[in-house]
Amino acid sequence: MFRNNYDNDSVTFSPQGRIFQVEYAGEAVKQGSVVVGIVSKTHAVLAALKRNAEELSSYQKKVIPIDTHYGVALAGLASDARVLSNFMRQESLRERLTYGRPMNLSEIANRIGERAQINTQQYGRRPYGVGLLISGVDRNGPHLFEFQPSGMVNEMLATSIGARSQMARTYLEKNLDQFADATKEELIKHALSALKDSLSQDKELTVDNTSVGVVGGGDLFKLYEGQEVSPMLASAFGEGEGEESMEVDT
Amino acid sequence: MTSIGTGYDLSNSVFSPDGRNFQVEYAMKAVENGGTAIGIRCKDGVVFAMEKLVVSKLVKPGANKKISTVDKNIGIVCSGLMPDGRHFVSRARDEAASWRGLYKAPIPTSALANRMGSYVQAYTLYSSVRPFGLTSILGGWDSEAELPVDGQVGSGPKVGAGGKKEGQKRGGPFLYMIEPSGLYWGYYGAATGKGRQSAKSELEKLNLSEGDITLEQGVKEAARIIYVAHEDSKDKDFELEMSWVSSLDGPTKGRHEEVPKALREEAEALAKKVIEGEDDDDEEAEGGATGDQMEE
Repeated sequence: MFRNNYDNDSVTFSPQGRIFQVEYAGEAVKQGSVVVGIVSKTHAVLAALKRNAEELSSYQKKVIPIDTHYGVALAGLASDARVLSNFMRQESLRERLTYGRPMNLSEIANRIGERAQINTQQYGRRPYGVGLLISGVDRNGPHLFEFQPSGMVNEMLATSIGARSQMARTYLEKNLDQFADATKEELIKHALSALKDSLSQDKELTVDNTSVGVVGGGDLFKLYEGQEVSPMLASAFGEGEGEESMEVDT
Repeated sequence: MTSIGTGYDLSNSVFSPDGRNFQVEYAMKAVENGGTAIGIRCKDGVVFAMEKLVVSKLVKPGANKKISTVDKNIGIVCSGLMPDGRHFVSRARDEAASWRGLYKAPIPTSALANRMGSYVQAYTLYSSVRPFGLTSILGGWDSEAELPVDGQVGSGPKVGAGGKKEGQKRGGPFLYMIEPSGLYWGYYGAATGKGRQSAKSELEKLNLSEGDITLEQGVKEAARIIYVAHEDSKDKDFELEMSWVSSLDGPTKGRHEEVPKALREEAEALAKKVIEGEDDDDEEAEGGATGDQMEE
């Protein structure tokens, strides 16, 4: 109704001090499929549900490796995520070239936060329509950051963004105290279970629609997709479902 | 007050017929929803405290600091839109660095307040930007050490502009608060955010202008005031974040630092005790409803 006057651009405050364009960009994140991130004392895990447009099409990429020590999972406009992830790759490489060290995750998270903030304060721009989970291990240990289109960046122990992600967050809150000391395998199991809780009734996790990014314990960031996730699905949900998903693929 | 629908509130930098900029006033509304932040100017330093509401259990405790260091002796705490706060602090760091580059000395707190006030004001001049949804409290300790006018490079003029009086001290603790309009003042005690009204009235009770409160006392009062200001949103959990900056021979050696955990927890324990005591009093004198809705 009268809200319409104040939601044409991101340089107009509403009488309540809100910026609707930024809030709408936040809605775009909720349209994207769900992604989950969890950290323990040693590892960082990202898990994502990939979507395909139709039966015959491929599945949209959800987890993007950035550097050898971290990656991001996205929910929302994939092209905006590509812009931001390219920027993150550049910055990470610059850090390695000039200082000879891997980029700190808090630093890269804050840099994209500052970039996104500019898009909410100047006319002719629009906020990024994507949310990111930035996760990996740097010299201060494992980290997980949540990035929102407003430029808000928060360090989390575990979180989830995207469609129906509240269900995943409920799971994560319930199991929060188990994460810190969890092994790599347990952490993956929790991430997949949280992901599963966010699925709509007619869907399930398969080797085709699931991707998992893992880093920690001295290993580099590795993206697991296709057949590589089937042992993870099997150990998370029992052999039955694991075999089922194998059949789909063969 | 009936700004809505008049058409003068849809664009930044537009004057209404009675000379107001409504977009700036709306930006101030964004600040009013933020967590309470305060700053106290004590006789030997400055204390900052921030009420950080815990929005979710999943947020990492103790991470996501909201008080920032600008130059080694200056701190900023912001209330309002946090991404705007990061932009603001980033600009403040650039200003401090460029001052150092030019004058070979740290930027005086007053000069930084002036520059940041100008920067915020610039965002009220054009319709192509929006004002900062932010009120920031900026404070620091300016060194009292005698320096040549142009620092390490040589000595400056002895008289006239840039000349210095023998033995005159210029440094000390300073505190400023900058509003979305770019307006700023120096303060003995400053408060902003949701609980600013109760925080302000507590600050006024301290008689800070008499200048006899020590930094350690300041830390304890700051913790208590944040706890008092939190009373209105009791149902939500919060984390207390505190930082301070003292003179060269004080506990922080002229630097802006986080208040040590032990001292913060001591201050928090004291604050909780005081609050519980007040609660008992409240039950006796119920009905004395506070006029909290008088703002605007």
